[in-house]
Amino acid sequence: MVDLSQYLPILIFLAIALAMSAAFVFLPMGVSRLTGTHNPTANKLTEYECGFPAFEDSRSQFDVRFYLVAILFIIFDLEAAFLFPWAVSLDLTGWAGWVTMMIFLFELIIGFAYAWKTGALEWE
Amino acid sequence: MDYANSLYLTGPEVFLSVSGLILTLIAAWGGQKAARLSTILAVGALVGASIITAAFLINPAFEQGGDAFGGLYRMDAFGSVSKLLIYLAGIGCLIVTPRFFDKGLEYRPEYPLLVVFASVGMGMMVSATDLMTLYIGLELSSLSSYVLASFTRSDDRSAEAGLKYFVLGALASGILLYGMSLVYGFSGSTSYLAIRPAFEGTLGTGALFGVIFVLAGLAFKISAVPFHMWTPDVYEGAPTPVTTFFSTAPKVAAIAMTARITLDAFGNQADAWRQVIIFAALASVVVGALGAIGQSNIKRLLAYSSINNVGFILIGLATGTAAGASAMLVYLAIYVAMSLGSFVAVLMLRDKDGNQVENMADIAGLSRAKPMIALCLAAMMLSLAGIPPLYGFWGKFVVFQAAVEADMVVLAAIGIAASVIGAFYYLKIVKIMYFDEPANVVTGKNDLAHWTVLAVTAIFVSPLGYLLTIPMGALADRAAAALFAVV
Repeated sequence: MVDLSQYLPILIFLAIALAMSAAFVFLPMGVSRLTGTHNPTANKLTEYECGFPAFEDSRSQFDVRFYLVAILFIIFDLEAAFLFPWAVSLDLTGWAGWVTMMIFLFELIIGFAYAWKTGALEWE
Repeated sequence: MDYANSLYLTGPEVFLSVSGLILTLIAAWGGQKAARLSTILAVGALVGASIITAAFLINPAFEQGGDAFGGLYRMDAFGSVSKLLIYLAGIGCLIVTPRFFDKGLEYRPEYPLLVVFASVGMGMMVSATDLMTLYIGLELSSLSSYVLASFTRSDDRSAEAGLKYFVLGALASGILLYGMSLVYGFSGSTSYLAIRPAFEGTLGTGALFGVIFVLAGLAFKISAVPFHMWTPDVYEGAPTPVTTFFSTAPKVAAIAMTARITLDAFGNQADAWRQVIIFAALASVVVGALGAIGQSNIKRLLAYSSINNVGFILIGLATGTAAGASAMLVYLAIYVAMSLGSFVAVLMLRDKDGNQVENMADIAGLSRAKPMIALCLAAMMLSLAGIPPLYGFWGKFVVFQAAVEADMVVLAAIGIAASVIGAFYYLKIVKIMYFDEPANVVTGKNDLAHWTVLAVTAIFVSPLGYLLTIPMGALADRAAAALFAVV
């Protein structure tokens, strides 16, 4: 049997997170009902998803620039995903790990400079 | 781990990566105007990387090669010879490129940049001795290739080629990754050196599936049958200089990578993977020969020809011996020259407005309008068909010799039979160029760069190439021995 007691901190963390997020959702709802600002209109009741109507033909056209922004977002978001494990294991990887990550970041900056200079970040 | 030594051993890749980063900045700030400069610098970078690689090869201190980064990467004669082929093919492809885009098609500095990054990836592929390094190298070169395939954005066929290549390439990468995960799961390591002893004795079903999936993913990358279906479409749709690149450098890289992983990592399970390779080799030879017969587009025909040639190269690998690996490398070198030469000759076929000519009917009677191009193209075709005294014959000869020595006479016999079928369509092109009524379509002029590449490759495949037989054979033997020295 796996000893689960060492995972108690994460359990507490999840329980608190669940409680907090539930409070954030239900507390405003309750308050608005009690204070009388509860006034559901058609626009308020529609689903919100990235600004697009959620239930529609998925073959609608959208600006290709959304796609470019999404790709750039993924690149720099992944960078952050690499930074987290690197940061917590720096005591193991030492200077070699630090220098490697700096080289990686430097290469990303060059890519960023390229994207910026060629106008990929401008909307117009 | 000695970092200075590791960086030194990965010199060609480090040099090309730094060049690639500088080219990125030049592309960003120079814009369209910097395209020529960027091409020249990229050729310079590839020449530099070739010099570093050649220096490793002739340096007696590296006779046995060396491991870098704790066994993730290995510099040895096999990797160096493959890299030299890759870089030389890259140089040949780059110097014929700008002219192609002169005619209203946008040439951008990103093109040579992508070729440089693809070369970094391919260098990693052939030197990888760990599944992780292999995958990173493979993806770097594949992602660059996807963009290159759709480089002429305004052309529908090019966009289709890029998309098709991307979707199928991603699928193949997925298959490869799945296989790798099984191999890792059953051997407990991603390092070739550790996988080899772990796969000793009888192979379990799960591990066998891992090996098969890895081979399937790799077969896609080298466009071996039954994973060849993307090749004709991509070769036809991609801009011709890109097709030239695809049929040379990435092929060398993928085949060298396959050889290293099968002979090193799966070396104890030769019976398992040899069956797969033998099937892929025979199927490629036959499908490549039969598929080309009905084609009317020269690029499509050459795509089938490359499938056919991959089959012959795989016959060398299927023997699983050092002699077979050496024969494979000799064939690869000759194949690169033949492929480069034929595609450059196709690039030189222009009508009076300078547009590319790709239809077989349009090259009728080419020998009268453009005797030199016709002569070189005919030499390439006859060499691809394996007709002596051209050098292509020697490549086939060493491969079949290795197969016979490894007691695979049937394999060699089927290969020879298929090469006779293949000779039909190669000879058909020669017949169209020399004996048909002139169509007088091809009248455009060509520049020095095209003539240089065509002349060099034509001299290589001509009987003069046999002068290189002894040094090239010795080099290939040394490279093949390096693969078997690891054990």
